[in-house]
Amino acid sequence: MSATRGWNLRLKAQPDFRVDFGSVQPTALAGMTADEVARLQVRHGNGMLALGELFDIGALRGGAEAGAGTSSAADSAAEVRAEPRPELFLEGDLSRFDAIGQGLDGGVLRIAGAVGDRLGLSMRAGAIHVQGTAGQLAGCEMAGGLIEVAGDVGDFAAGALPGSMDGMRGGTLVIRGKAGACCADRMRRGTVLIHGDAGDFLASRMVAGTVALAGRAGAHCGYSMRRGTLVFAGPAPAVPPTFVATHQDIVVFWTLLRRSLAYHGGPFAALPARAPRRLVGDLAADGKGEWLVPY
Amino acid sequence: MSSPQEKTSAMNQAPDSVTLNGVTIDDTFAEAFPMKATRVLITAHNETWARHAAVAMTGFATSVIACGCEAGIERMLGADETPDGRPGASVLLFAMSGKELAKQLERRVGQCVLTCPTTAIYAGLDEGEAIALGRNLRFFGDGWQISKMIDGRRYWRVPVMDGEFVAQETTALVKAVGGGNLLLLARDTDAALAGAEAAVEAMRAVRGAIMPFPGGVVRSGSKVGSKYPALMASTNDAFCPALAPLARRSELDADTRCVMEIVIDGLTEADVSAAMRAGIAAIVARGAAAGVTRISAGNYGGKLGPFHFHLHKLIGEGAA
Repeated sequence: MSATRGWNLRLKAQPDFRVDFGSVQPTALAGMTADEVARLQVRHGNGMLALGELFDIGALRGGAEAGAGTSSAADSAAEVRAEPRPELFLEGDLSRFDAIGQGLDGGVLRIAGAVGDRLGLSMRAGAIHVQGTAGQLAGCEMAGGLIEVAGDVGDFAAGALPGSMDGMRGGTLVIRGKAGACCADRMRRGTVLIHGDAGDFLASRMVAGTVALAGRAGAHCGYSMRRGTLVFAGPAPAVPPTFVATHQDIVVFWTLLRRSLAYHGGPFAALPARAPRRLVGDLAADGKGEWLVPY
Repeated sequence: MSSPQEKTSAMNQAPDSVTLNGVTIDDTFAEAFPMKATRVLITAHNETWARHAAVAMTGFATSVIACGCEAGIERMLGADETPDGRPGASVLLFAMSGKELAKQLERRVGQCVLTCPTTAIYAGLDEGEAIALGRNLRFFGDGWQISKMIDGRRYWRVPVMDGEFVAQETTALVKAVGGGNLLLLARDTDAALAGAEAAVEAMRAVRGAIMPFPGGVVRSGSKVGSKYPALMASTNDAFCPALAPLARRSELDADTRCVMEIVIDGLTEADVSAAMRAGIAAIVARGAAAGVTRISAGNYGGKLGPFHFHLHKLIGEGAA
């Protein structure tokens, strides 16, 4: 029998209140016994609850969990870069579980189901794969690693906490569904890929980084954007008057970016080799942000 | 193919020299020394402009004695070998210190690559101490420059009149080997040049090595020191045909009227060895009838550098 490389937590029943899961880290659990894992306390409403009361706990052994991820070959490459061991596999509807992967600094979290708010909040390394949807503030202020959500995410993904000056600061957030409002608000570094549509205020107040959108953007896209790159891989957006076209040859930069985005598959795998139209703005802010819009 | 090895003992030859296809290979060694090096990849709209930039950047970089660095085009790159899918050139730079290498790199990229139409520049090595590539050149953008992180690498996009100059922020500095060499002793100038050209062509196929002198060949081989105290090097009188009857010690016989040297810098000792081996093989394949009758190497009695490339060992490894 191969050694334990992580834990499988299967949800027994929906909790009565919201659960703060931020203290449960795959690297910390890797060195524990099953009893220790079961006794681990998490905040449940105003009180505390042991993991053993919420989940059936089993050990993960051997190779990768079959069907546990949503990975393509390209994602596997990203996972290798993100040092995928140790691992925590969560099963069930965890939409009442907040802060899953908060501050993650290594290892892999796989979730077969939906998750609550603040997924991967301030994570620094490692990988999180969610097969369902995520609530608000997914990837908020993350600084490294990979988050991949197969479904939709709520508002303020890759954004900033209230009162904070900077949103996402590094790493990669892949949203295979739709993104809510204010995605990448105040984003400073890193890459966000949205396979579906995005809500209003996409990349608002963006400081730097890259957002690639395959679907449609909502209203006020790039509002007060200072720097950073917004790639439209799908329909061309309505261009606000505070964005203007530039006409220089950007094929070198475009090739570097296009090849990087292609790793994530889907509509980003077949971005045209021809450099897109470039617009800069928001001229009401710093005006050094750029939109790359297909012809 | 080459004839069987035979040991010879003739005037002006080392007692244990080996003869291959009529070409005598001295029982001596090339002495090389540690250097610092980096590799950068230059791309451009087409190969012509990539070559223009690479040639300019590697100009006046034959010897660290007065050029600050030694540099050369390692090879031209196809569009499928470069980060941005355009044709390019791989350039190697060598210097005696990391500080000097960083200085030379910045100057040469700034004056020869940034200025050259359509070019971009990238690190050609992943492992090693980071030194600035586009990090300081970005200020040419006067505040309009844009930083971009792609797959963990930072690039700078500097607005220029043909669009934008893209430069990776840093490249890697590694320990390297400089000063490997071959001396080709020939019966006349035509034969020496033809042999040297053939050897250099074969050596250019070796990755990780350059021959920094014009055409890869140097005719003014030097010895350490001079009768003039201000000079650190002077003509290699032992290999000058004009001085054969005059110098205190000459390595040449009456039939040797022209000597050419090929100097090799490599990222590793193995790269220098491979290049020297390729050069020797090219000369031997042509045979003594082509005019290069003897191969020797320059050394300083083992006092200058820790890397010793013994010619007989190289041909032994080549035969193995």
